[in-house]
Amino acid sequence: MSELKDATGADVESLVLARVLAALGGLVLEVEEQTPERGWIRVDPARIREASRILFEDLGGRLATVTGIEVRDGIDILYHWCLDADHYVATVKGLAQAPAMAIDSVGQDLPAADWIEREMHDLLGAEFTGHPDMRRLLLADDWPEGVHPLRRGFKVPKVDSEGKRETQEWAGAPDEAARKREFSRPRRPQPGRTLINIGPFHPLQEEAEFFQLYCEGETVVDMDVRLSYNHRGIEELSTRMTWDQVPFLVERVCGICSASHPWAYIRAVETLCGIQAPPRAEYLRTIVAELERLHSHMLWLGLAGHFLGYNTVWMWAWKYREPIMDILELITGSRIHYANNRIGGVRRDVSPDLYGEIRKAVDSIKAPLELITKAVIDDPVLHARLKGVGVLSYDEARRWGVTGPTARASGVPIDVRRDHPHGAYDEVEWQVITQTEGDVFAKAVVRCLESFESIKIVEQCLDQIPDGPVAAEVDHIPRGESCSNYEAPRGETFHYVRSDGGPGPVRHKIRAPSYVNIPSFRASCIGQQVADVTIILASVDPCYSCTERMARLVDAQTGRPMGTFQDMVRASRERTRRLRKEC
Amino acid sequence: MSLTTFGLKKSPWVYHVNVGACNNCDIEVLELLTPRYDVERLGIVLVGSPRHADALLVTGICTRQAEPRLREIYRQTPKPCVVFCIGSCAMTGGIFRHAYHFSRPVDEVIRDEDPNAIIAYIPGCPPKPEAMIAGAAKALAAL
Repeated sequence: MSELKDATGADVESLVLARVLAALGGLVLEVEEQTPERGWIRVDPARIREASRILFEDLGGRLATVTGIEVRDGIDILYHWCLDADHYVATVKGLAQAPAMAIDSVGQDLPAADWIEREMHDLLGAEFTGHPDMRRLLLADDWPEGVHPLRRGFKVPKVDSEGKRETQEWAGAPDEAARKREFSRPRRPQPGRTLINIGPFHPLQEEAEFFQLYCEGETVVDMDVRLSYNHRGIEELSTRMTWDQVPFLVERVCGICSASHPWAYIRAVETLCGIQAPPRAEYLRTIVAELERLHSHMLWLGLAGHFLGYNTVWMWAWKYREPIMDILELITGSRIHYANNRIGGVRRDVSPDLYGEIRKAVDSIKAPLELITKAVIDDPVLHARLKGVGVLSYDEARRWGVTGPTARASGVPIDVRRDHPHGAYDEVEWQVITQTEGDVFAKAVVRCLESFESIKIVEQCLDQIPDGPVAAEVDHIPRGESCSNYEAPRGETFHYVRSDGGPGPVRHKIRAPSYVNIPSFRASCIGQQVADVTIILASVDPCYSCTERMARLVDAQTGRPMGTFQDMVRASRERTRRLRKEC
Repeated sequence: MSLTTFGLKKSPWVYHVNVGACNNCDIEVLELLTPRYDVERLGIVLVGSPRHADALLVTGICTRQAEPRLREIYRQTPKPCVVFCIGSCAMTGGIFRHAYHFSRPVDEVIRDEDPNAIIAYIPGCPPKPEAMIAGAAKALAAL
């Protein structure tokens, strides 16, 4: 299925790949064309920064993520570039040669690669020359130095069904000395700045995360975030499971994307095997995924209302979301973890008797959704509160590689459902909603309008769904590698799998949408008022269980923690109240 | 029955701690507050600080980074308090129990801190909101 071609690009079939090769010119060492939408290019590792610049600037690529894999000669670093307008994913490989395992940092030019390089430093021990900030990102403070869980030879002792480890002596056993080292300590604020801590535990944050806002007066001048509270090590766990067990695991990457992650994984495996799910299965996947998007967008609208002091919006949005949860339970058996996807198709068929129920549920939320949308779009207080707040410009959105509603609100017209066709999305009529302002208001509008598109998609799927089998036979998973993506409610989720022909993946890289959306806070929060930060943070619909896997405010002069997240929510609500009087 | 236990049973104030969950149990916990389940009508109130809480709703696998924070939160909670381990992950580590970043099951961490801690378990992945209400009712009846 895949073959090695020579480096000149003269005989590649895809015009897009030929264009990429022409632009990269003498940097290319080896090319492999897997399918008409996937190409793998090995380049000279010494010139990886140049290759990245060409792909980002000249070809308009978006750095989806970077995968690191330990190979015989060192660590292979795979830069996955999405050329969305061309429906193409080009992966550029560079080898970080052992024993130094070092490669030039792309993160110093392109912020999209910042976190992922830190992550690979943690998990694989790769070194990135020139990276400005190599502190720990994902591993705990007490994780011993120099132990990398994704390296070969790393073993975790067995754990019984009660959750007890058979031995406490293993490579990753807690090391109290590591806790005191520089990499686990937050940066100190400069004199004249205040540090405000948000997290790690707070009632309004469903998840543990720890943000640190560096402020001058009321203005945020810098931000930092510490992850690890939610890091569960799913990528390593996945390599100890079988191909068919992994969907259940990746479903639990994040509870609100539990249709999206398995779908992205399954698409990658299906590309690797060269199989296609039957049309009925693609329709059923689309219906469940769109119902999930609907409930997720309503959940966000509710929470955003809650942060602004509009608790009515919260209660309404969550009340009207219930029929969707019921229908998901009816067709998949569970309110949240659906377990309906498998390699080659879906696990369970949906009886045509249920179509009416689905239609009724989707119909029932149209009127409330219109009501909420109008309440959001026409409310003068919300205009005053959200317009021009937390602007992420088009250029910044591209540089940070953001995806989903966050990108679309900044005028970057990307949507995996349209750009990388799959499922039933190319057989139904729907639109990609974009706005140009890039502020919090635009993000709210994008989500409201997208919900209507999801309703349209579900209704058309129910009209057109063909009969037939719901799963294709899969013999075995051949050797090779593959990557794929899916548009989760928060943005693109990207999966990479590598097989050695065995029972499970030997490397599985997962990049969830919040992983690229959250770091863009550094572009959108800086220069903003403290009272606006909560809603800006909430505007990308952050999902920390996805990201791994935190911020705090500190007084600039004394270095003492200043406000709590609660104070900030209070400040945020007071500002809404003040504006309401003025309007 | 002491006055504090009476107060706890009459209207338990709960604090939600996520120590490394996939978000699902957390959404279902928030779901409890919204109109369909509306646990405030039963006197259950979600509060913003462990110092105000009678019960901790713990979700997730207790990761290495979160374990010392969970202990600190438990120390801050006034006693008597009930710790609810919500979901398979909080009970045993669930599907993630073999992971390198998994510390110990939540009940062990709490017992380590306080051998007489009152711990209730609500199994499920995630438990349905109805199951959480039933679990809370049973645990309070047993006090």
